[in-house]
Amino acid sequence: MADLPSDLVVAGVAPAADEAAVAKAGGWWRGRLGVTVPAVMVAFIFGLCFIWPIIGPVPPPTGGNILNASLPAFSPGHFLGTDPVGNDEWSRLLYGGRASLEIALAVQAIGLILGGLIGAVAGYLGGWRDATIMRVLDVFIAFPGLVLAVAIAQGLGPSELHTIWALSFFSVPASARISRAATLQLREQTFMTAARLSGTSFPRMVLGHIAPNILPQLLTYALLGMGIIMILEGALSFVGLGVPPPAPSWGNMIAQGQSTISADPRYVFLPSAALFITVVSFNLLGEGLRARWVTQ
Amino acid sequence: MSSTSAPLSAPLAARAGRAGRLAGSPTLSFIVRRLLAAIPVLFGVTFLSFVVMNSLPGDAAQELLGAQATPAEIHQLEIKLGLDKPFLTRYWDWLHQAVIGHLGHSLSSGQSVASILGSDLPVTFELVGFAFVISLALAVPLALVSARKPNGVADRLSMMFSMAGLSIAPYVLALVLVYVFAVKLNVLPAIGWVPPGQSVSQNIRYLILPAVSIGLGLLCFYTRLLRADLLGQMQGEDYVVTARAKGVRPWRVLTRHALRNSLFGLITVVALNLGTLLGFTVVIEDIFGIPGIGHELLQAIDNRDIPVIEGIVFVFAVIVVLLNLAADVLYSVLDPRIRYGRPTE
Repeated sequence: MADLPSDLVVAGVAPAADEAAVAKAGGWWRGRLGVTVPAVMVAFIFGLCFIWPIIGPVPPPTGGNILNASLPAFSPGHFLGTDPVGNDEWSRLLYGGRASLEIALAVQAIGLILGGLIGAVAGYLGGWRDATIMRVLDVFIAFPGLVLAVAIAQGLGPSELHTIWALSFFSVPASARISRAATLQLREQTFMTAARLSGTSFPRMVLGHIAPNILPQLLTYALLGMGIIMILEGALSFVGLGVPPPAPSWGNMIAQGQSTISADPRYVFLPSAALFITVVSFNLLGEGLRARWVTQ
Repeated sequence: MSSTSAPLSAPLAARAGRAGRLAGSPTLSFIVRRLLAAIPVLFGVTFLSFVVMNSLPGDAAQELLGAQATPAEIHQLEIKLGLDKPFLTRYWDWLHQAVIGHLGHSLSSGQSVASILGSDLPVTFELVGFAFVISLALAVPLALVSARKPNGVADRLSMMFSMAGLSIAPYVLALVLVYVFAVKLNVLPAIGWVPPGQSVSQNIRYLILPAVSIGLGLLCFYTRLLRADLLGQMQGEDYVVTARAKGVRPWRVLTRHALRNSLFGLITVVALNLGTLLGFTVVIEDIFGIPGIGHELLQAIDNRDIPVIEGIVFVFAVIVVLLNLAADVLYSVLDPRIRYGRPTE
């Protein structure tokens, strides 16, 4: 069965209808650079957010002195200035990126493992069990994630962990649909039949034969989904979930900056730019990898 | 599932009145199966939201009376609103009313849920519709220019533009647009909403920024999708080879032959986006102060107004389920090579 358009849209990626044909047509970007450049960018961003605050002279992102409030950029000691309560903006960007990346990684990891397994099991079993599993996932896809997010925010309170739970409701069904579609394509292959006929146990079929084959595809979609999850994390900050202030995340920095946008747009633009550059890097990396495995 | 749908699909098809030959069509039985399968999904979605809302601290009575209310007062109001009944009873009451089309009344305002939906849904639909018009109107020419010369200058530029557009968060775009067009240039309003009944031109003026905020991502998504599909058509399809062999010029093959085919694929994706988008408009409505369904939903959650939440969730779920189905069916109807009759056999 061909990829259903709904699978791809749920996953939030454009179908790779002709990547192979385009790759054949050539283009330097489709070559090695298309993967290396964004991979270096992603590594650089991770390094800045996770390693630089440990080894570099970065002030803490919270508990700043109110007397230093709203310093302009390039002030001594604060090269991007300070926010309206006196915290160093550069430090908040780094620590905020750390929170945003952590959330996105956790959400995609949960999606990849849980969703990947659910989809592979459904696709491999087929029949009524497949139909049942997919209907349950449809419930989560049709369920407005926002209701859940706001409910989690009001019931359990905003926190990084609760944000991860809320966002996993997007990533698990999306990943499951991709995994199921990939498993369906795999199921009729000769080596699968051979393994089945030689009496391979069910867990071994799923973990030993299906998982390694669909993993590259799932990983690529997970990378492409990183950007979407980071964007959604920010959206949750607008409705009261997300990382609770004063701790920074790019999402809550943007949401907070909204109120001072006409006076000082920097508080919106800086985290927005960081988010944008990171999402572009992930998208380019995902695209590059996808083009690669579609060509093979 | 297939064993139950087989006897059902025949009489349904006959009632639909469209020639009896359709009765045995795999597409029709696919539709019927999917519609039947949608019933438990709708049931699950409404039940899940009931569970979620009930697990929240506080209820509508408490939210209505405020923090100063005594427990006795709250209890009285709970009885009046029917909130004292057991959870499953309340869900059952709601469900069997909803099945016959009664969505109940708001607990906080007493307004009927149907009238709330009736006044808020059109606002959101107009916003989303406007965003779709903008994105489709631009995506088609952009994709055509790109596909005319793959890896040419125009193609690279439009691919760079669409990658950037895909990577920008709608709320970031909204804030940047507000800053540029409302704060700095002061040419468009930053927040508010004018109903089209009052003034059509004002209505559109207020819609431009929010619609662009939503539409840019769509535009970029469609441009890339359409370009990829056009290139696929141009490179592999027999009808393209035939047209070229007859001497039809490449640009004409692209616009007249390939585009027509590719647009079919796009339609299905548009149908799908519409469903998911309705959920994403919430933040945009919040930023621009638009009184749409997202705004209503946030308020209803704050008030623990379960009938309103259930009504919105139910209508959304119906829309999403129907659009998903429509997309997958259109996909198979428009492209006869894809058949759902016997999946994977």
